[in-house]
Amino acid sequence: MLPHILPKENFDDFVAWLMTQGRVAAPVAKAPNFSFDVLVDKDDIARIRMDYDVTILPPKKYLLPSYETLLDFNGPAPENVRAEIDARPTVLLGVHPYDLHGLQTTVAAFSQDPADASVLARRKATRVIGLNIASYANDEQFMADMGTVDPPDGVADLFLTDIGDRYFVEIGTEAGSEMRRACDCFRPAGPEDHRARQEYDERKAANFKKRLPYHVRYLPELLEASYDSLLWDAVARRCFSCGTCTNVCPTCYCFDVHDNLNIDAASGVRERMWDSCQLEVFAEVAGGENFREQTASRLRHRMFRKGKYILERTGKPGCVGCGRCSVHCVANISILEAFQQIAGEAAEMHAT
Amino acid sequence: MAEKPKLKVSFHDFTSCEGCQLQFLNCEDELLDILGHVEIVQFREAIDDKSDEYDIAFIEGAFTRESDRARLEHIRKCAKVVIAFGACACTGGLNVLKNYRGVKEAMRTVYGDQADWYETSVALPVEAAIKVDYKIHGCPVPKQEILEVVKSVVAGRTPRIPDYPVCVECKLKENACLFHKGQYCLGPIARAGCGAWCPSYGGRCYACRGLISDPNNNAAKDVLEEFGLTVEDIMQEFRLFNGVYDVAQPPDNAHVKSC
Repeated sequence: MLPHILPKENFDDFVAWLMTQGRVAAPVAKAPNFSFDVLVDKDDIARIRMDYDVTILPPKKYLLPSYETLLDFNGPAPENVRAEIDARPTVLLGVHPYDLHGLQTTVAAFSQDPADASVLARRKATRVIGLNIASYANDEQFMADMGTVDPPDGVADLFLTDIGDRYFVEIGTEAGSEMRRACDCFRPAGPEDHRARQEYDERKAANFKKRLPYHVRYLPELLEASYDSLLWDAVARRCFSCGTCTNVCPTCYCFDVHDNLNIDAASGVRERMWDSCQLEVFAEVAGGENFREQTASRLRHRMFRKGKYILERTGKPGCVGCGRCSVHCVANISILEAFQQIAGEAAEMHAT
Repeated sequence: MAEKPKLKVSFHDFTSCEGCQLQFLNCEDELLDILGHVEIVQFREAIDDKSDEYDIAFIEGAFTRESDRARLEHIRKCAKVVIAFGACACTGGLNVLKNYRGVKEAMRTVYGDQADWYETSVALPVEAAIKVDYKIHGCPVPKQEILEVVKSVVAGRTPRIPDYPVCVECKLKENACLFHKGQYCLGPIARAGCGAWCPSYGGRCYACRGLISDPNNNAAKDVLEEFGLTVEDIMQEFRLFNGVYDVAQPPDNAHVKSC
């Protein structure tokens, strides 16, 4: 499918058209950060910040809300139990490549048997419009290492690259192709446009330097070798186990489910909310046993999830290198720094 | 089927502003449902009646007078379930500030020449006098937690009281972090359950719901110091609501026994 052009003067019309297709979530300012927020009306289009750096929470929240109702019940008999799936047509606008990878990992995780009906129904009802980036937003990002600088195939229906007074629009899916046909804001890309897009890529290649001292293919093994390293204890001294790192992560998908009973103790709702392996109560089981009681073991577990386990489980990156966990950590614990340090740790462990 | 007898509920106040009892009355949408399952037999702020026959006792306020001990013990004897209600009852709350000034000095400041007319001692949590079954933390207590505890006690379940930091709820609300705005906050060690009230409205968290069970106090001190606070500033920050915890004590000069 040949690329098209969306002139910036048509951008507002384009978004207004998107709003006829479903609720539109787009990046807006949340000083001093940014967040994805649903546009309420056309006046809200002016709030969109296509120049955002990185949002506090990833767009994952539209597939797996931080809180949702799974069931509504009015007594134990099956006919009194009603499943609830809120899968409204949604358009995610301006999703950066690393977050497109994050969405892909989320969907891969929830597609495994038993597949999660809520998340998959929401994915089906969601259109994604990606947005290219030409450089790192901060020193904690390492997308070049994690292979998430460019969008994955088949996630974004349309993928926008800012080439001055217009967006270069690549069409990634059949649904994207339909959107392009149905909305009259586009024109076919000409030779000048293609050249501008090529130049963008050249700038991009020059900007995205790798930040790990080794190739990412060795990350799982290096982690494995550093399992007993003292590094985890050292970093954990500053760790609050506050769960911020996992809550802002595009690929974390752990949740907790509980029944919220009404006072009649017979009716109520079954709720699902995000959970975090960093919280002390996360690994506590019946009888009071806790198999990750120490902060260091929880912290190490997260690093292993990000660099090894999720990749092994889903085949998709468990860390997309977006840097959110490090930027939002009040104790300045950096996953990039930890991944950098394990190279030396592993060599040392190997030598002894 | 015979109607289950309603559980009898009483409210008692000690050293406090009684704002938490007001929060109970603020559960306006749910009050009628609750009253379908419980009967309030003593509640100075809402009814005239007074009875010593109750199953569930809500105690608001700190234990600050030795003479209150007998009253607390009496409540414990009457009630099947005792609930410490609000920051003052759970940790001593703001009242503990008095302990750091010294009781005599506090008495002089408040009562002047008449200081000797009144009785007071160090402020302590209710737990210092009697066994408490559940704690509803906060200044004031959050409505949703009142409901959770009332529903759980009526159903005979253990209520779900969060034991994780305020940061969790703050992040889920997608608030910009106060530390990012160059301010500071006790969120990383404070017990959640309030829905990150204060940070959601731009204020910092003073940990009015107490600290989580295993807070990383050293990290908290390090981080706050990096934000330019002195040890004394940090202690004051901790003491506002959490003076009874070890973390609020200066290294070699404990003013009160920790609880």
